[in-house]
Amino acid sequence: MDEIERALASMLPRLRRFAHGLARDRADADDLTQAAAERILKSRAQWRPGTSFDAWAYRILRNLWIDTTRSRRRHDAVLAPEEQGLSVGAAGEAEANVELGYLMRAMARLPEEQREAVALVMIEGLAYAEAAEVLDIPIGTLTSRLVRGRQALMAMLED
Amino acid sequence: MAEPIDEATIVAWVDGELDEAAAARAAFAVEHDPALAEIAERHRRMKARFAAAFGPIADEAVAMPAPASATIHSLDAARHRRATGRAVWPRWAMPGAIAASLLVGLMIGHGMNGGAGVGDSPEALALSRPIATALDRQLSGESGTVRVALSFRNRDGDLCRSFAAAHLSGVACRAGDGWQLRYGSPNTAPDGAYRMAGGDAGEMRFVQSVIAGEPLDRAGEMAARAKQWAR
Repeated sequence: MDEIERALASMLPRLRRFAHGLARDRADADDLTQAAAERILKSRAQWRPGTSFDAWAYRILRNLWIDTTRSRRRHDAVLAPEEQGLSVGAAGEAEANVELGYLMRAMARLPEEQREAVALVMIEGLAYAEAAEVLDIPIGTLTSRLVRGRQALMAMLED
Repeated sequence: MAEPIDEATIVAWVDGELDEAAAARAAFAVEHDPALAEIAERHRRMKARFAAAFGPIADEAVAMPAPASATIHSLDAARHRRATGRAVWPRWAMPGAIAASLLVGLMIGHGMNGGAGVGDSPEALALSRPIATALDRQLSGESGTVRVALSFRNRDGDLCRSFAAAHLSGVACRAGDGWQLRYGSPNTAPDGAYRMAGGDAGEMRFVQSVIAGEPLDRAGEMAARAKQWAR
């Protein structure tokens, strides 16, 4: 394994967790993870040694997700997560997965810009400065999206 | 309590983002204002709830993409491939018995790094979650951060599997509802070469000394996996 493959292999489980914070269901999250891992290997020449591999990898997955939701919105205006109740769950989900699915659906109802901020900080545990770097936004913008996203989640989850 | 403390400050405090002086101010404010204390507590609870639900995902082994599939780079393409059920086999995937005969020179480890080493307890050789999860789920030859090369039954009737993770490779056998290390060596694969699970000469000799019959084929592995690798 070369340097990029090693870095990706050790990061992949966290990348997949981040995907779970963005996507609306687990199958989408797994597909997104695989697609991002492939793109990372393919565009490995674009990573600049000395910069954070993790931030670069998170950014690739996040951009892939944005591209996907955009093209999906063009092609199919089918599933609007806002219109589904939070309690909608696939039959036969194990109990731990019910909770995860529930929180993922709550995340899916956030505006994209709040969801990615919350996913990086509250789920991935990134420092504010790191999350702002991944999203390429000023730290003040990051914190305000983060607070609004958490307030919205709280309102959904504490009902 | 000089300036009023807003919710953004409370959230930053919960996230450990405040410097020492600001954190002390937030702590003081929270201590003296039940309304602020409640806001802090609700944020802390929600953060813990997300950590409990999402945290375990990062402990699960994830398959690395196969080099040959590097042309697929959109979510919809990946979904299509999953839907059509076409498995992508990396070049190094091959029947376990052959993989086990391909040797990679390896130093056999003597001793452990100080501190949190292997202790003298019944769980001393129990494998931790990422490796155990890979042994539970992956078929031999599938790519991942942990690779499994070979499955076989030992002379005691337990199912065993050889594997290579980032730093450790070896052989584990089913014990109770977990996996116990029966042979291990540090993984010191040279750069640029995939370490072949199924390992070094010592590991080969070990497998040969405990194996009963032939290694499991793919169908045998799938059947064993369906029975949670129980005897």
